[in-house]
Amino acid sequence: MAAAAESQPASLRLKEVRHLLSQSLHSREVRLLVVIFNSCNQGISQVLSIVDTLHQPWLDGLELLQDAMDNKRVLSTGIAAVDSFLHGGLRVGQLTELAGPSSSGKTQVGNFFSSKRIRHFLSENGSPPSSQDDAGIVHRVMSRIWRHSVFEISLLFDMLHQLEFRLGSQECMEGCKVQLLIVDSVSSLITPILGGGSSQGYSLMASLGVLLKKLAHEHDIAILVTNHMVGGERGNPKPALGESWKSIPHVRLLLSCDYETNTCNISTLKHPSLAAGRSASFVID
Amino acid sequence: MAARAWIETDETAKEMLSRVLTKSPPFQFRPPLHRLPLRAGNVVEITGPSPSAKTHILIHAAIDCILPGQWKGVDYGGLDRLVVYIDLDCKFDVLRLSHLLKLRITEAGSGLLFDDGEELHSLCMKRFLYVRCYSSLEFLSALKTLHHQLVERVVEEEVEEGSGVHCLMIDNIGAFHWMDRAVSSAAKSLPGCNGRRGISLDSIVEAVVREMKKVLVVHPMLVMVTKATVLGGDRSGSNDVTQNSSYREFMPLVWQSFVTHRLLVRAVDDDSCEQTRYLLEWLLSSPRSFVERFLVKDAGLSCDL
Repeated sequence: MAAAAESQPASLRLKEVRHLLSQSLHSREVRLLVVIFNSCNQGISQVLSIVDTLHQPWLDGLELLQDAMDNKRVLSTGIAAVDSFLHGGLRVGQLTELAGPSSSGKTQVGNFFSSKRIRHFLSENGSPPSSQDDAGIVHRVMSRIWRHSVFEISLLFDMLHQLEFRLGSQECMEGCKVQLLIVDSVSSLITPILGGGSSQGYSLMASLGVLLKKLAHEHDIAILVTNHMVGGERGNPKPALGESWKSIPHVRLLLSCDYETNTCNISTLKHPSLAAGRSASFVID
Repeated sequence: MAARAWIETDETAKEMLSRVLTKSPPFQFRPPLHRLPLRAGNVVEITGPSPSAKTHILIHAAIDCILPGQWKGVDYGGLDRLVVYIDLDCKFDVLRLSHLLKLRITEAGSGLLFDDGEELHSLCMKRFLYVRCYSSLEFLSALKTLHHQLVERVVEEEVEEGSGVHCLMIDNIGAFHWMDRAVSSAAKSLPGCNGRRGISLDSIVEAVVREMKKVLVVHPMLVMVTKATVLGGDRSGSNDVTQNSSYREFMPLVWQSFVTHRLLVRAVDDDSCEQTRYLLEWLLSSPRSFVERFLVKDAGLSCDL
């Protein structure tokens, strides 16, 4: 396959030579050569089509833009201040990291989907007063939230591969389309395997990043991961997971909470289209 | 007489210079990339920690490439080339590219009709070829099919001979570094691998360089590559402009010898300014190096001072 692929630049020359030959006399040898050249060309295009299946398709800017505008919408976080800060909310197809010291509100994002909050959220939005309807709606909403406990990174990989397989299979109906995936917290799975002199931990972290971004883009999911803080230079805390992790998420946000005033502050560390260093404050109830 | 013809000169230096300049004209980018003339065959490596606006620099250069020089009587100052963007980081935001392109078109052609602007926008976006790669193997197979893609596009658009020089951009060549390193250490421990050169980080990077050289022979291109530092930099805490941050080089020697130009980008802590300033430095062999400062604004990179 390598040899055939190396003759790719020669395919144009082959076409020219074949054209020249077909213009000459119709002798038997010439016809034989033309047949060989034809089969070479076919062989080359066959090899090319096989190699083409080994990578994602080539797109041009217009097709990419069309896909982004059709499928990659923005999901609201439920907190108005955060939504306006992020120009809409979490973007589908992007991996967002939320870093912050412990008990700063990042896990509240996960607990935001408890049944008590859902009921509260529905009653705020003027749902019908009868309690039976209410319970039915809550049940339907809760049945769309799946929660898995994962204590090891290999189990997380297993689950993500299963999800990828299920989403990619033909029998996926409208009901099983995933919109948001939250991993709380990715640092507690990765930190135990980093370091120790070998590169296995870093390679697992990189593979996890690639798998999450692939899921996000191919299946139109918004992914949110949380990260904790460690001590950095000059005593300032910095997000954990080191230098290699910094280039993996699309969006990196820093959350800090002040309990006396009950306000939280969110700022951007990295964003593909918004300026870094901006911040906003809001109150979580 | 054949021997005499062999000794005689083929062309003078003046003729050669004019031939090279017309066949592969230099790439003239807007600031902050305007310092050194870049031409086909150059490999520019943009290194920096994350985040340091490296992808933004690529988008800035890509817009310069895909815009036409002149279109319907309006001067856009572009280079009228194709851009091939290989996304290894999988983080490219096409909406940002589209937004910056629209701003550039409205800025240059202020009296342009809406339909004309849309038409130019589509024309430029069609010149931007994009592929995502989720592993080194996908990257290698994309490089193998790159020639075929370019030939198809040239045939479709009937591009003339002279403007066949394009730009190849690769976002984050170090994206699969850790995964390739782990593959090599795993392969060594397998029994029965003695005497056979297995997959290793070095062999993968060698294959990448080989494929790129093959494509560059047939399609002379300017290659711009970003590289995020995966190992922590040695920062002594000072914001000295002239100090070279010593980021450890992790790419194998075969890649280092393939690169012809090096650019270092980093964010500068500036408490006086709200926006983060970035510093761009061309690493040259001479003691004098070019340093540019720029900001990332909504309308793109802006070089002040």
